[in-house]
Amino acid sequence: MTQDQINQLIIQLLNGSVMTLKIFFFTLVFALPLGLLLTVGRMRKFILVQYPIRIFLLVMRGTPLILQLVAVFFLLPLGFGIHLDRFTAAIVAMSLNYAAYFAEIYRSGFESMPKGQYEAAAVLGFTKSQRFFKIILPQVIKKIIPPMGSEFMTLVKDTALVSTIGITELYLVAKDTMSAKSSVIPIVAAGVFYLIMNGIVAQAFHMLEKKLSYYK
Amino acid sequence: MKRIGKVLSLLLMLSMVLSACGSKSASTGEDTSLKYIKDKGELVLGLDASFPPMGFKDDSGNIVGFDIDLAKEVCSRMGVTLKLQPVDWNNKEMELTTKNIDLIWNGLSYSQDRNDKMTLSESYMTNRQVMVVLKDSSIQTLADLKGKTVSLQSGSTASEAMDKNKEVKDSLKEVVKIDDNVKAMMDLQVNGSDAVAMDEVVARYYSEQNQGKYRILDETLSDEQYVVGFRKGDQQLCDEVMKYLKEMKNDGKLAEISTKWFGSDITTIK
Repeated sequence: MTQDQINQLIIQLLNGSVMTLKIFFFTLVFALPLGLLLTVGRMRKFILVQYPIRIFLLVMRGTPLILQLVAVFFLLPLGFGIHLDRFTAAIVAMSLNYAAYFAEIYRSGFESMPKGQYEAAAVLGFTKSQRFFKIILPQVIKKIIPPMGSEFMTLVKDTALVSTIGITELYLVAKDTMSAKSSVIPIVAAGVFYLIMNGIVAQAFHMLEKKLSYYK
Repeated sequence: MKRIGKVLSLLLMLSMVLSACGSKSASTGEDTSLKYIKDKGELVLGLDASFPPMGFKDDSGNIVGFDIDLAKEVCSRMGVTLKLQPVDWNNKEMELTTKNIDLIWNGLSYSQDRNDKMTLSESYMTNRQVMVVLKDSSIQTLADLKGKTVSLQSGSTASEAMDKNKEVKDSLKEVVKIDDNVKAMMDLQVNGSDAVAMDEVVARYYSEQNQGKYRILDETLSDEQYVVGFRKGDQQLCDEVMKYLKEMKNDGKLAEISTKWFGSDITTIK
């Protein structure tokens, strides 16, 4: 590839990265709160709440994400007449999948909380919601930062899967350019792009972890 | 007992989901495909934008190609706008049935299987399935492929051509399915395979791009026809597109586009 073509390639990859980042952020916006709701339900003793959620978590974590994307985009319209556009379908599938993983991470955080924390909060006269938001959740967040960081990085890479339902993102741009120019440079360059994005994610989590370790 | 009940209810749920997928939408029997496009004012062309020279991305990322030029001309004559939608080649039939795209026009070779699943136009070009080997490979004929590994694009007619040539296929050590042609060519370069089966037009395009790297065997696997694929039953739309292709043949536009991409008129529309 000539220098000019490589310059063009970088512009194309930057354009593709915009879609990649959009999918990354939208997935987080929906998956983070949804995962928390799932955890709260999952930890209930009431079977009618706990069991459906456990089945949901099993299906979402037990089937490939690429298959879930295809299911949401193609099977919903064919089987149930629900027609989603490509981007919405991608966000729905990715959010449901990631919410399932986030839910289990949250749960590991909640279950590591000593009983004493709840008892102390009760003794000090906190209400139930105060106890949850002011005492328990902040501590849980501190605990789950390392596994969350890993999951965020996986998400950056998993955005490449949405090309299977025809969304032009970083990986597809690289793949198409590779075909047009019969050169491996686009794929290597895309790899560098992913690496930079994940470098930023890793650094952000590192800083967050430092900031929250105020008792050390 | 409780556990059996759980398993049963799970199976029941699964079968419900699957039967919902299997059920076909009731068709009214009337073909409104042309009206549907005209009302929409837009024709959505689905393609795998990694198929030069039929449909691929140029330096600045625009989708160009022989098929794209044809489709643009047909659309401007039909008075609708053309929208290009990249799709995953393995999902193309589903993209059509779910109405996400209206047609597939991307070096689609005719096959019986595709004819069952889609409404296909008449052929507009002849294509051959050829074998590409490295320049200095010892392979000269199809018989030389005995005990060798051949790679090809999954979901392409190269794999069907291979299945038809049972004699060749059985003599091979292995057929490797790769998700696009250029990766198959790379597989060839790194000696992962000894030959690649692919469409002749694409093979010629790559050989021209990489002068002196590849050689195309004189013997071919099969002759094929390039067609345009429509949703099953969209006969009216298919006829309309064919009508303009014939018109373009008569006024020389077709020859002009073909010459631009292939150096001469190699289309087969009568």
